[in-house]
Amino acid sequence: MASDQNPYLSERLSMNQKTIQTIALATVMLVAVLCAARPRRAQDAKNPYPSMAPLDQYLMDRNDEIALARSAAPPSIAKDATVLVFGKDGYETAVKGTNAFVCNVDRSWMDRFDNSPEFWNPKRRGPVCYNPQAAKTIVPLVMIRTRLALAGKSKAEMKEGLKAAIERGELPAIEPSGMSFMLSKQGCLYDHVGPCFPHLMFYVPPKDAETWGANLPNSPVLGGSPRDPEPISIFIVPVGQWSDGTDAPSK
Amino acid sequence: MRRQNERLHNEKRTHSKKLMPSLAEALQAHDCTSVIRRMLVNQKTIRSIPLAILTLVAVLCAARPGRAQDAKNPYPTSMAPLEEYLMDRDAEIAMARSAAPPSIAKDATILVLGRHGFETAVQGTNGFVCNVDRWMDQFENSPEFWNPKRHGPVCYNPQAAKTLIPILMIRTKLALAGKSKAEMKEGLKAAIEKGEVPALEPGAMAFMFSKQGFLNSKCGNCSPHLMFYVSVKDAKTWGANVPQSQIYVAPHFNGNPEPVTEFIVEVTEWSDGTPYPTPASTDQHH
Repeated sequence: MASDQNPYLSERLSMNQKTIQTIALATVMLVAVLCAARPRRAQDAKNPYPSMAPLDQYLMDRNDEIALARSAAPPSIAKDATVLVFGKDGYETAVKGTNAFVCNVDRSWMDRFDNSPEFWNPKRRGPVCYNPQAAKTIVPLVMIRTRLALAGKSKAEMKEGLKAAIERGELPAIEPSGMSFMLSKQGCLYDHVGPCFPHLMFYVPPKDAETWGANLPNSPVLGGSPRDPEPISIFIVPVGQWSDGTDAPSK
Repeated sequence: MRRQNERLHNEKRTHSKKLMPSLAEALQAHDCTSVIRRMLVNQKTIRSIPLAILTLVAVLCAARPGRAQDAKNPYPTSMAPLEEYLMDRDAEIAMARSAAPPSIAKDATILVLGRHGFETAVQGTNGFVCNVDRWMDQFENSPEFWNPKRHGPVCYNPQAAKTLIPILMIRTKLALAGKSKAEMKEGLKAAIEKGEVPALEPGAMAFMFSKQGFLNSKCGNCSPHLMFYVSVKDAKTWGANVPQSQIYVAPHFNGNPEPVTEFIVEVTEWSDGTPYPTPASTDQHH
């Protein structure tokens, strides 16, 4: 039966043609939209964390954060340490310690200002325990950076704000023998490497950065490059075990 | 392949830590009673141990009285003839350099021990100073203080060299003058009081990564490690010597009499890039 002889069939065919046209148009539009969006997606892949995410994404359950902070050092040290947790108004003391070590979970904005694509990555969690000497300088640094981040500053503005704070004398000079533990298996330092590897960190004035044999072939000492504007160089020495005593990969 | 080796390596390390220490320590101490008790406790294990091993243990135990006598006083109680502490000059330069990765040691100043003390064999350019330690042990509870086999290759960074090299020189001068341990300690204390040891600078550290060293009879070359030097007042601020800390306070110095505390952090590679612990050293050290 020919369609022109059947009004019902003719109507169905007409509807099908319209549907096909609609689908084709929608497909073309979708492709066009996708193509138009493509450069932007490429841009996002290069810089997936261009600015601060909503604050809630950086927050943690308070007890979880205390436990995560303590996991930075062996329990024999962390159990008696002061523990700071991050709240909506900045870091606050959750546990007052007795051994002068201070533990907290760093957020992404403790990264260096340059070449730091994950500077605003809300998934980053850096558990760390500072010895008393390091705490005197690095905890104020955490506070200043966090205050600037919560004030909605950009990376460039944070850098300028930190520089001004240092010039005003808000950052005590680094003391000899400043060091810290970063031995947590539960941290997430970067998207692609998770907790990285257990390591100790040592803090020295930038003038001493060339004197540790760092970053040379077969040297286990890493880092030490200047952290503008902070007057501190940080050396990293990987160690063989996580804070829970389990062995870490040898590299 | 490397990952697989590392995994096997780590498994062996963990396994060794869990199962081997008491046996290894007992063997190291020639405590045959403990060895046999441990073997007898585990009947299943003992059935799998070849008869030859039991025979070997029996032979070792039979020889025990003579060795126990030696164990009381196995090393010289005063300085051995100087020749026993000396090395071929080129061999000593090479051993000193083996303390740090070649990328550091190749440009370091090298000191070697001669008949009159340590002298500069190679003038470096990077501020590091490497040498092979002799008499740098603690003064008390140090039965191997005069053991001429001890060779401790070390490379100090510039800050550490300013304080540790003078300490090395003073100790060596006193040893070569024929002083006893007690006299050396007193002489060193007097030298410190006279200001002959410069105050420690911040950021002082050293490498001890040599596979060729011999630090003591218990662990031989022991393990590759970094050393960090702080003032004695800071000795309790690093969380050292607590469970799972991975930071240890060296038994020497620490105000007795040197005004320096030395922290030790073990690392996972020797200076030649080979991994530590090796399967052989795992059993030896853990």
